[in-house]
Amino acid sequence: MAYVAARGGEAAIQEAEALFRRLNGTLDAGLVQQIERQLPYLVDRVMSEGSLYAPELAALAIAQTGGDLYEAILLLRAYRSTQPRVAYAAPVDPATMQTLRRISAAFKDIPGGQILGPTLDYSHRLLRTDLLDGDAQGEVASEQPTTPESPAILNSPIPPVTEWLRLNGLLAALPPQPPADPALLPDVTREAVRFPAPRAQRLQSLARADTGGVLALGYASMRGYGLIHPTVNEVRLGYADVLLEHPISGVRFSAGRVRVSMAEVVSSHGDTLELGYAATLGWNEVKVIAGAMLDLEMDKPNPHPAHDEEFVLYHTEPVESSGFCIHYKLPHYVTFSSNLDALRRAREMAAEESE
Amino acid sequence: MAYPDQSFYLSILSRSPATVVKDFVEHLLPTLEPVEVLHNSTGLVMLPMQDTAKGATFYVGEVLVASARVRLAGAEGYAACLGRDLTQALALALLDAACTAGCCRAEIAAFVQAQAAALEAEDLVLRQQIEATRVELETF
Repeated sequence: MAYVAARGGEAAIQEAEALFRRLNGTLDAGLVQQIERQLPYLVDRVMSEGSLYAPELAALAIAQTGGDLYEAILLLRAYRSTQPRVAYAAPVDPATMQTLRRISAAFKDIPGGQILGPTLDYSHRLLRTDLLDGDAQGEVASEQPTTPESPAILNSPIPPVTEWLRLNGLLAALPPQPPADPALLPDVTREAVRFPAPRAQRLQSLARADTGGVLALGYASMRGYGLIHPTVNEVRLGYADVLLEHPISGVRFSAGRVRVSMAEVVSSHGDTLELGYAATLGWNEVKVIAGAMLDLEMDKPNPHPAHDEEFVLYHTEPVESSGFCIHYKLPHYVTFSSNLDALRRAREMAAEESE
Repeated sequence: MAYPDQSFYLSILSRSPATVVKDFVEHLLPTLEPVEVLHNSTGLVMLPMQDTAKGATFYVGEVLVASARVRLAGAEGYAACLGRDLTQALALALLDAACTAGCCRAEIAAFVQAQAAALEAEDLVLRQQIEATRVELETF
């Protein structure tokens, strides 16, 4: 074992941080508020992978790291580790959350209908260079819909498409299950995952997984390395109430609403349909669609190695994977020097043998 | 004016603008004192979610909340709200305790109704905006 000492390290580290700040502009409360208000999908992504719903802190983490998302997620996870667990909310039922967007690619006529919601999916992908050139006014968000005569949507639950499939006999009914105690669910933050993982741990891991990692593995499945070719049964974005129990009266109340997204994918298998599912904090459609595909893929008896449950869950953990990656930047002089010694010895031996 | 029920007023007030709630409680405070703060801190709430495919329940993530527990006029109050605003949580808990103790009955009921109306108006606009994005799909 050998160590490397650095001389003048403390001063250099302080100067390095000062240079980082100088090159990345002023960090202040105004910037944080602007990020929170105007870059909600970026904030959502940090909260999703940081597994902590705290928009103000996620915006601060983005501002503080100059937008380096892995660093921002690490900051949020680090903050989370300083906080005590104080309560368990009631489980979110997707049917009762305030749904803003719900579409199905598998069925056109679904109860509750197809609601595009807030999206740029069907808009032209053109850069508004006219805004930069001063030829156009900036866009001001309007409070009123552009179709003012639209009636208010009924404030009634929109059932998941799976429920409709079950009612129509296209899917087997779920076996009756006792209500889960929110305090007793398997939890990857408290217990190491053992494979095959309990479904609750699998879905929790996907919920906090790296978007890019989930997409890469999910895309590999979509391109043909997988065993399925599913269709999106449902994608849903909405607000879910955080329902807590009042510790004195026992009354259930909402402490506020959080942004949540979920996706179901459906695939035919023989004479039955099978489903994949994923959900996450914040609005992130790519992650939940790719995650739902991986959920389905991981159930296959002999999945491609990249879709094996252990492979997927271990390699899409954003803090562990990015942390392991960047640890290679740290001094490895002694180990690498040892490698060079071995290389030189091997060359000397080869030279001696050839003489 | 009758008090709205506890679930209703806590759910409404936790979503109401923090500054409005804090200003209202600041105005009521001389009437509510003396107040004992039993607990006021931030913490994490585990948020479970139902898996619609296979019926599992799993943690979709954690939520940062500020919570407070107070005592006034012989009654205890509790509240929690999203984020880390301890003063907001304290203000909400004071209102909860005041409701339990029967203090400032008319003023609090009127405040809750006003906040509920404001949120309902906001939600109505949102629901109209959502409805405007509904599509009917046809196959040919």
